[in-house]
Amino acid sequence: MTAPLVELRALGFRWPQGGAVFTGLTFALAPGEKVALLGANGCGKSTLLKLINGLIEASEGEILWRGEPLSAARLQRADFARAFRRDNALLFQHAEAMLFNATVSEEIRWGLRQFGLPDGKARLAKVSHLLGLDALLDEPPFLLSGGEKQKVALACVLALEPQLLLLDEPTASLDLRTAGRLADHLLDTPGALLVSTHNLSLAADLANRALILDEHGRLRFDGPIEAALDDLALLEEVGLAHRHRHRHRGFAHVYVHTHSE
Amino acid sequence: MHIPDGFLSPETFIPTWALAVGCWSWAARGLRTRIDETTLPRLAMLTALAYALGLIMLPLPGGTSGHALGVALLALLFGIRLAFLSYSLVLLLQALLFAAGGITALGVNALAIGLAGSATAVAVHRLLRGAYEPLAVVVAAYASVLASAVLIGLALGLQAHIAYDAAGRPLYFPFSFHIVLPAIVVPHLFIGLGEAALTLVVWRYARARGWTSRADA
Amino acid sequence: MNPRVLLFAYLGALVAISLLHSPALLATLLLFAFIASGQDRLALLRASVRALAVFTLTVGLSWLLYSWLWQGAPDGRWLLLVILRVLLMVYLGLWFVRRVPLMALLERWPSATLLATLTLSQIAIYRRLLADFRLAFTSRRAAPPRLTDRARHAGAQGIVLLDKSLAAAADAAQALRSRGVFDLPAPNDAGAAR
Repeated sequence: MTAPLVELRALGFRWPQGGAVFTGLTFALAPGEKVALLGANGCGKSTLLKLINGLIEASEGEILWRGEPLSAARLQRADFARAFRRDNALLFQHAEAMLFNATVSEEIRWGLRQFGLPDGKARLAKVSHLLGLDALLDEPPFLLSGGEKQKVALACVLALEPQLLLLDEPTASLDLRTAGRLADHLLDTPGALLVSTHNLSLAADLANRALILDEHGRLRFDGPIEAALDDLALLEEVGLAHRHRHRHRGFAHVYVHTHSE
Repeated sequence: MHIPDGFLSPETFIPTWALAVGCWSWAARGLRTRIDETTLPRLAMLTALAYALGLIMLPLPGGTSGHALGVALLALLFGIRLAFLSYSLVLLLQALLFAAGGITALGVNALAIGLAGSATAVAVHRLLRGAYEPLAVVVAAYASVLASAVLIGLALGLQAHIAYDAAGRPLYFPFSFHIVLPAIVVPHLFIGLGEAALTLVVWRYARARGWTSRADA
Repeated sequence: MNPRVLLFAYLGALVAISLLHSPALLATLLLFAFIASGQDRLALLRASVRALAVFTLTVGLSWLLYSWLWQGAPDGRWLLLVILRVLLMVYLGLWFVRRVPLMALLERWPSATLLATLTLSQIAIYRRLLADFRLAFTSRRAAPPRLTDRARHAGAQGIVLLDKSLAAAADAAQALRSRGVFDLPAPNDAGAAR
């Protein structure tokens, strides 16, 4: 059995002036595994991704990266931090928080230069073409629309080709065509993927496994994505399925269902 | 830069509060002539902007950072009155909500930073913009920071001369001008560079979006 | 107790405290405040000490050193006076803020309440955004950043904040208009006459 890439052991987190976000969270991701992180609004999905990306420290439990504990002290070590940041990339839900360079191409190249990655031009061309950014490469990111900014931020993390890609609502502002091309690309990438999304059809396309958090941050499901999407009672409980009047050509009925985009 | 409670004498903070109230009335009256339903939301968002600009860490040489002020930027984009009122509201919110202190010193802080800082920025910009506007923006922001630093230094340095006990010992801020002015102004010679750079970058963006003609007096 | 009465009492206390120059009296008042503030007292004291630490200690210790070197003896009395005064003022401020919600103070002035509500909700958005900016900068880099990168990063934050402020101002005005906030009350509508 392959050693896990990242492992959470009884992880707990609380904000300084708030209640617990999660407690006792335990799961592992194997190299190359594609996992969907689903759950109610406000259950802590973004916080969990930031924890795995080493940006905030857990209140209890631990996170292991390649079998070694991930800690603030280890991240102070330049050699470890460099390798970790290169191999563990996070797309923020508010993508514009990631952007600060003068043009789109500089934004993408900045990340590549940080880690001394080879074939910078080829990587830039690949992600730019994938996400439809070719015409925007010389534009300042600040002047782009929300969807375009999200594409730029995505390009920045995809270009690194990290071992673990953490995506927080990657298709929230994307048009359908770009979302489709992104999904195909992610399926083909060898790296592991943990994607937080409300888009259940994207989750089903991308992932073979699902983690579902409830509103209290408890892990309610960890298993095959098909089984997760079949469990309408659980999905309803976590706000991913609902019941309301549903019309079919003059006939209305009520049943629990999801809305896959 | 702003002064916390406890270091200014009543002989200082009472008259400066009175002066500040007069200046707030002047600023509010000036806005009232153009008041419409957008005024209140605009003031709210600019106050939030003024607060948030103060959270931006300006990079300084040597790996250190300082907090941005943002007063010059607000003044150049939105005029002295709005910048003064927004910054004053930030000081008030910091004191009343975040308990960051400075209620007695609020008058001095608002006048030195909010009003003098804004007025300096606008005046220097007007003087130099005919030559080369981006340079005018940089010098205006830099001058704004230094003007505020000097006034804060003067307010603090004054205390040793007007408030002391029978034995001549200070009762409030203890250092005189020759110590406090360099102590405050010298670091701001560097902080001002960061502030000027930030102001220029954001001002250029605002100009590209056509927002630089919004300033009133 | 009426929030505005508490506000005036707090402001009056600040003026009164600034007129006191006896460390013993200030210490006594601090003790009264500490006892009177009930179960919050330790949290208030910790927060007060944290709030005054940097400025007060910097100035205080500098004066101690200056008076020792230039006046022959360290002026410990001044240090004690200022620490007690500032601590008492900060303590009362924190206690006031904990006891009196801002909205309770502004209750009688709908425009001020509206201004405070809009401002505070936008500030909350900006704090989260700036926190994300800082985290994203850490997430994307391999090593401590260069000065030019830090400068560009600061500029980007300023630009995004300005952009959002102007958009939010326009959106808020439209939303409030749509909800009738700016409509004049009907002539006989006593309830809307505030």
